[in-house]
Amino acid sequence: MKKLASVTILLLGIMLIAITAEFPRWGDPQSPASTYLSPHFIEKTIEETSVPNIVTAVLGDYRGYDTMFETTVVFCAGAACFFILGAFRREDDDQIRYFRHKDTGVVLKVKPNGTRPNSRSDFERIDPTWTPYDFIVSRVASLMIPFIQLFGLYVVAHGHHSPGGGFQGGVILAAGFLLLALSHNLRTLSARVSNKTLGLMSASGVLIYAGWGALALLFGGNFLDYSVLGVLLGLDPIAARSMGILIVEIGVALTVMSTMVIIYNNVASVGAYDEGL
Amino acid sequence: MLDIIVVTLLVLGLIVFFGGSLGIVRFPDFYSRLHPAGKMDTLASLFMLGGLALYELNDISSTSVLTALKIMLILVFVFIASPTATHAIVDAGFRAGQKPWTQGQPRR
Repeated sequence: MKKLASVTILLLGIMLIAITAEFPRWGDPQSPASTYLSPHFIEKTIEETSVPNIVTAVLGDYRGYDTMFETTVVFCAGAACFFILGAFRREDDDQIRYFRHKDTGVVLKVKPNGTRPNSRSDFERIDPTWTPYDFIVSRVASLMIPFIQLFGLYVVAHGHHSPGGGFQGGVILAAGFLLLALSHNLRTLSARVSNKTLGLMSASGVLIYAGWGALALLFGGNFLDYSVLGVLLGLDPIAARSMGILIVEIGVALTVMSTMVIIYNNVASVGAYDEGL
Repeated sequence: MLDIIVVTLLVLGLIVFFGGSLGIVRFPDFYSRLHPAGKMDTLASLFMLGGLALYELNDISSTSVLTALKIMLILVFVFIASPTATHAIVDAGFRAGQKPWTQGQPRR
């Protein structure tokens, strides 16, 4: 059996190598890809969509279905992570909790049925695997996060003109959130943006993309044909395509950003959301 | 004249980068390897990016000044981020129980 398998693999390998010889040569002007499709994209992108960045035009307009389902896959990844790790866990009360007095640094250990300090008092809850508050790292991270987020917004908005777009910008935006979680702790992140909000944002990103495409149906165009939405935006059909790509990219960025943070939250806290690393 | 300064800065940056890489390969343990990684790379980026910013200022126009300013911004970012990252890594290593190398021990 093992011999049979190795002979089969060997034959398949020889077949693959033989087929490789039939492929068009690298950069062959006569190959099917170079004869009609690539020249069309390279020559007609500006006059058809008024987007200088061809990659964004292909991704957001010519190949809109593909990108829509890529966004859905990202959303599904976040949802799967949530369902595998977090669905059947609640914030259980049968655990020992630690509270630190903010002014003196005294740490209280509260047993499962003990009375906890009021959440608005001078005490803050800390993790069992609590590590000292690192001044340098958290200060520098707080200093840099606004700039990282701003840069992420630029990357999303400038996807037409420079390398970038929804996926890349979304990852940069998420990196800002993750830096906050890493430099402080997970609860600092959860206090700013809850897991529920993240889930809603993740779903609404897909909704923006698909809804914008479906809106074109109402205006008498095809699905994801942004040019008919120029009436809505007050633009001519060509400029409407460019604007449509931007709106779609915003949806992609929302989904990617929140899904990254959801995956981090789930994996870092094993589905519990509150304890952190 | 400006070209000479630019080339000098770039070559200096290369030398410092080379020293940093050599240190990462040759030093005996985790902490001492982070020393060249954190310090030399930061200094070498100062030389390299400073040289590139000067090269952009070869002809003074609004675009070239803007580009030089952007390069200086990257420099500021690297100067804040790189030592902090090294600090965080050393901190994490210390908490994870990495023992520093002392004389006579084998390389790790």
